[in-house]
Amino acid sequence: MALKALDIYKLLPKKNCKECGDPTCLTFAMKLASGKGDLEKCPYLDPGAKNILGASTRPPIQLVKIGVGERRFAVGEEFVLFRHEKTFYHPPGIMFEVSDLWSGKEIEAVTRRVGSEHYVRVGTDLTFSGVAIRNESGDPDQFAEAVGVVEATGTHVPEVLMAHDPAVQEAGLKKCGNFRPLIYSATIDSYKPLCALAKKFGSPLVVSAKDLLSLGELTKLCNAEGINDLLLDLSFPSLREYIPAATEVRQKSILRSAPELGYPVFLDTTRYPMQDAALILGIDKYAGVIVTRALSPASSVAALTLRQNIYTDPQKPIQMNPGIYPVGNPGKESPVLLTVNFSLTYFTVQGYLESSRVPCYMFIVDTEGLSVLTAVAAGKLNEALVRDSIKKFDLEHLVSHRRLIIPGYASPLSGKIEEETGWKVLVGPRDAAEIGDYLAKEWKS
Amino acid sequence: MPTVTFLPSYRKITVDAGSTVLDAIQRAQIQMNVVCGGQGKCGKCVVFIKNGSVEFDREKFGRFFTAEELAQGACLACEAVIGDDLHVLIPESSLIQQQKILMESLGIETVFSPSVWKYYVELSPPTLEDPSPDLTRLVWGIQKQGGPLAEKMYAPLDVLRWMPRVLRDSGWRVTATLALVPGGFRIIDLEKGDTRSEIYGVAIDLGTTTVVAYIRSLADGRIVGIASNYNRQISCGEDILSRVNYARKNGLPKLQALAAESINLAITTAANGAGIDREDIYEVVVAGNTIMTHILLGIDPAYMIEEPYVPVVRRYLTTAAPRLGIEVAQDASVFIFPAVSDFIGGDIIADVLASGMGEKDEISLLVDIGTNFEVVLGNREWMFSCAGAAGPALEGGEVLFGMRANPGAIERISIDPITLEPEFQTINSVKPVGICGSGLIDLLADLLRACVVDRTGRINTGIIHPRVRQGDHFPEYVIAWKTETGNNKDIVITENDIKNLIMSKASILAACITLMKQAGITRNELSAIYFSGAFGNYINKENAIMIGLIPEVAIDHIRNIGNGAVEGANMALINRKKRKTLDEIAKNIAYIELNAEPSFMDEYTGSSFLPHTDLALFPRVEKMLDECRLKKIPVGVP
Amino acid sequence: MSENSPDSSGKIGYVVLGATKAEGGTRTVSFRLGGESDLPFIGMNTGQGSIPLVAFEICDDPEYWSPIVTSYTGDLSNDAREWAGVAEKQYGADIIRLYLTSTKRRGFDNFSSITTVMEEVLSGTGLPLVVEGSNEPAIDSDVFQRCGEAGEGERLLLGTAEAGRYRSVAAAALAYHHSVLAQSPIDINLAKQLNILLREIGVKADHIMIDPYTGTLGYGFEYSYSVMERIRSAALKGDTDLAMPMITSATDSLSVKEVREADPAALEDIAVEWEFYAALSSAIAGSSVVCVRHPKTVPLLKSAFRELWAGKMPGEA
Repeated sequence: MALKALDIYKLLPKKNCKECGDPTCLTFAMKLASGKGDLEKCPYLDPGAKNILGASTRPPIQLVKIGVGERRFAVGEEFVLFRHEKTFYHPPGIMFEVSDLWSGKEIEAVTRRVGSEHYVRVGTDLTFSGVAIRNESGDPDQFAEAVGVVEATGTHVPEVLMAHDPAVQEAGLKKCGNFRPLIYSATIDSYKPLCALAKKFGSPLVVSAKDLLSLGELTKLCNAEGINDLLLDLSFPSLREYIPAATEVRQKSILRSAPELGYPVFLDTTRYPMQDAALILGIDKYAGVIVTRALSPASSVAALTLRQNIYTDPQKPIQMNPGIYPVGNPGKESPVLLTVNFSLTYFTVQGYLESSRVPCYMFIVDTEGLSVLTAVAAGKLNEALVRDSIKKFDLEHLVSHRRLIIPGYASPLSGKIEEETGWKVLVGPRDAAEIGDYLAKEWKS
Repeated sequence: MPTVTFLPSYRKITVDAGSTVLDAIQRAQIQMNVVCGGQGKCGKCVVFIKNGSVEFDREKFGRFFTAEELAQGACLACEAVIGDDLHVLIPESSLIQQQKILMESLGIETVFSPSVWKYYVELSPPTLEDPSPDLTRLVWGIQKQGGPLAEKMYAPLDVLRWMPRVLRDSGWRVTATLALVPGGFRIIDLEKGDTRSEIYGVAIDLGTTTVVAYIRSLADGRIVGIASNYNRQISCGEDILSRVNYARKNGLPKLQALAAESINLAITTAANGAGIDREDIYEVVVAGNTIMTHILLGIDPAYMIEEPYVPVVRRYLTTAAPRLGIEVAQDASVFIFPAVSDFIGGDIIADVLASGMGEKDEISLLVDIGTNFEVVLGNREWMFSCAGAAGPALEGGEVLFGMRANPGAIERISIDPITLEPEFQTINSVKPVGICGSGLIDLLADLLRACVVDRTGRINTGIIHPRVRQGDHFPEYVIAWKTETGNNKDIVITENDIKNLIMSKASILAACITLMKQAGITRNELSAIYFSGAFGNYINKENAIMIGLIPEVAIDHIRNIGNGAVEGANMALINRKKRKTLDEIAKNIAYIELNAEPSFMDEYTGSSFLPHTDLALFPRVEKMLDECRLKKIPVGVP
Repeated sequence: MSENSPDSSGKIGYVVLGATKAEGGTRTVSFRLGGESDLPFIGMNTGQGSIPLVAFEICDDPEYWSPIVTSYTGDLSNDAREWAGVAEKQYGADIIRLYLTSTKRRGFDNFSSITTVMEEVLSGTGLPLVVEGSNEPAIDSDVFQRCGEAGEGERLLLGTAEAGRYRSVAAAALAYHHSVLAQSPIDINLAKQLNILLREIGVKADHIMIDPYTGTLGYGFEYSYSVMERIRSAALKGDTDLAMPMITSATDSLSVKEVREADPAALEDIAVEWEFYAALSSAIAGSSVVCVRHPKTVPLLKSAFRELWAGKMPGEA
């Protein structure tokens, strides 16, 4: 449970010594509470207090890094059950499966696809995370050969080595062990040799067991072998077990009631009849590494978009770049509609404007991603901003008229904007859905 | 003696024949607009003689009037001499439109401990046997009178320059004025004879709109004069942002001069009213918002309105009055309140000081409402603050018939929940022309009680009643029919007005709740809510809670501290020990930037409801509303 | 949004959609939604809660419908009665959601046509019905009155009530004993406010379904997802003004750029996946009814729910 600033303050020395770099203990406490401060910066903290505060700020789920180089990723180190409580930090790695029964060409094609396929959404490059090489042949050499094919592509994408037999694992690791592949998976019968391999190659390890209780036992055994970079395999026989299990793992680890479950989750969706459904579950509900068969183009973009959505910081709205965005083919007489640079607002308004079929300019001002309602309430959207933005984006040369449509929720500012800019202000609807009707009725150029 | 009857009030007064009409008006205590001071120059004191006649030079002053006006008996009050009984109509345009400006004290006791004193000494003149210098004589004399140790006192050069003359001309009977300064006491004035009673200080609230000055005797602490006037910077822009912009365009020297001029005007008016000499004012204490303070000091405020919003000074400052152009005693000092941030200025520190919340163990909440609002939560150990824009609705802006608290403004109103008929009271009891902030709060609360509006403020147009109707653009409720108003229009409140009002109140409540959550405090832990600002004094506390302007607490836990800025300045003026605590208060207050607070938007939408979406936060209001609804159902369904 | 009572004894209330002959209507099936006392897809074995249902959306004037759907259905979409029947029997929908898009036409005043359409759809399918009335406040009262009357006894879900216009739909629902679909724009506070407003004019909690408004994938879906999670959590914490089952529809799925501008060969797949990903995630976030427009999405969702659901099936005791 996160502590409030005031609770933290009560544990601080209250000397206001400024040595932490903050003017007072209270402001330092506020930083700590919001997760932005570093406890170590306080030189006068007594050990008891440090324990309490340290425990509440230490991540309850182990951070596990997979792969090396540019494409490596980390999972774990999450703090909350619901993204709205803070945010989810580490999006799951989605790994495309290849098999050592496949031809080299097939393996290479999937690997190259993972290496190069990407989608750009709201300024972010979305990619799949890596390749899962499955040992189906039972043969160490064939497995090593498949791993070799993946390596030979030079894509340097992170890998999961899926082989239960320690000898097969070792053959694979010999090919790629320097690149921190994820080892899948240790069971109660194989954990000792696999832990030894994990230790030797510095690789993280997935543990598999029939239920959470056994998983917890197993992680403790692995810890005893000196392995802490673990993932829990929650690919139970029925998909209906996934959400309850993943939720229980997340709940217990953040409450610190079962430290042995404080590891990221592994989900192999290939075992379920509905792979897409399993993938959605993994993305929505706490998975760290997800293995799938190579996705269809349609599923690909949907999955990556869903992952981006779920892992967006809900406290930091995605922002658009301020500026002027034409909709349709606007001209000198076209309407200018002002709105904020909160991406959701932008997309919503843009959608309705497009369907209104009235060519126009969207005039996006920088409210630091705040919605209209909040930007007005907090004073971020004000006449000076509008004035400066008109100048900055040279709106006066873009259109020949001097009429500006503002969002309905910004109506309190209409007079001030007129005064400050000299533009005639028209107050638009509060609901973006009404914008088409509004333009049809109110805009006469 | 002739009797003068004033219209439209029918007030009567008897005066000596030969007096002017203006004399009569002033004796009747009617606030007439007399710009030139009654010299017949400005043409503002227009009256119409309706019955009887006066001596008035129509040739000479005819230029002020049209022929039609002259035919109706127009003349200048200052130049019209009364001979016999008269009926005089005073048009509204000739009266001073005075805004209600709050100047009430807190009813809190504070220790009287000034930082300037006067000592009267009778010294023996020097002789050949006793040749010690003038200054030595003076300081020893002061020490003997119970003043500070002689070696702790010093005199600046200009005082030394007058000293020999003053001592000898007065026959060695002089009054010295001492000011406490770092490291000792400075002799800031030397006067002939005993002037001990003539020692004053002034406390100033330097507001964006208004400047208030309180002159107090620093011999005994009592108030001797109060005055207020508009801040003359208004000519350079109404609000704070336009002032900063003006300063940016090389306007800082002018704004600084206007700030000093506004202060001087208030001081002069208060001093004249009290019959004291400005030269006897030895100390000035100023509390103002951070930008006003910067401007008064002649410091560029431009960097405060740009990211990262940094003020130049945050600590309290003391400087010499002449350096700022404040016209009081030559060597008087000016004490300027410290600030927390660009938004939490000396005015808010003064509020905190005046409320006493920074000296208590119990937790209090302080709300200062104007166009902007500031909120402070805390106790002697810690304080959180935040600020935001409330929008002008609570000051009557953005509301169709909204107005400031001027004559004719409806300031109180109640609505019969069954008949939906209103009953109201206007400022100065004249016909209504609009509605001011306190009236708006009453109105909204009662519209909610009567189920005319729902909790989002939407008017139930299904109600069949002449006062509930569809207006030109929005549904509206008719407060007063045009036959009863002073502007010949139906006075209404529209759904849009209510929305703006709710947006304003939601910002304030959301700010309060955000601070409380940040601190982990529930409303039950609040020992008091302090209202500061003129606004607080006039509003009905129960209704403020009913609409959810502030968190629900017991009514007797809500206190008005009036104009907290000037009260705090007064406190610091008469009790110098309080000044030390100011920097402490300023340091203790952590500022929370609402823009950066992710939960603020949530709190804001939660607060955009009457009184709040979380009904459990307003248990008393809920009980009341349940009872109201029981009486009304099924009105809601059309 | 502030905390409500700290105990987590809350439970989602029940809402019944549709009425069979025995229940006074003409539907072949009715659904009792709600009853969950845990997070979605957890605690299913306790016998509480119900499997999420899939509603198929149709309209009475396809001019206002996505060409992706109408090109798939062909002439079928011109006949609401027929379309409703196919949705039930071929697509396998649980519920039919009818949009009276004909009322969008400028100056619409043919109110008797609403009664006709209602009667046709009721005869075309035995499934419970959600009915979306007008888009124009000026005709709300007439439209909802007709919908309500034509569906009397059928326990419809009538929509859409919003904070600015809830009185007409509520009046029709109260008069003819239907439930109200209460839509608010992706905000837990606004959702709660609307429920309070409805309660205060007499609509009972067991006659309200929350539509928290769903932006589709990539277009604000994350906000909708979190609002649903918050609503569910608040309800489980005991906030009775939020303890109603949710219904969601990512209606813009078929009109966003990714789908609209997709390669024609892949367009249908993308459309279906886009709906599927948003709808399944909505159910995971707590939605009891998910609505879709592409016929091919319905069986996908139905199988996914069967795979995830371990509790009672509708009709089981």
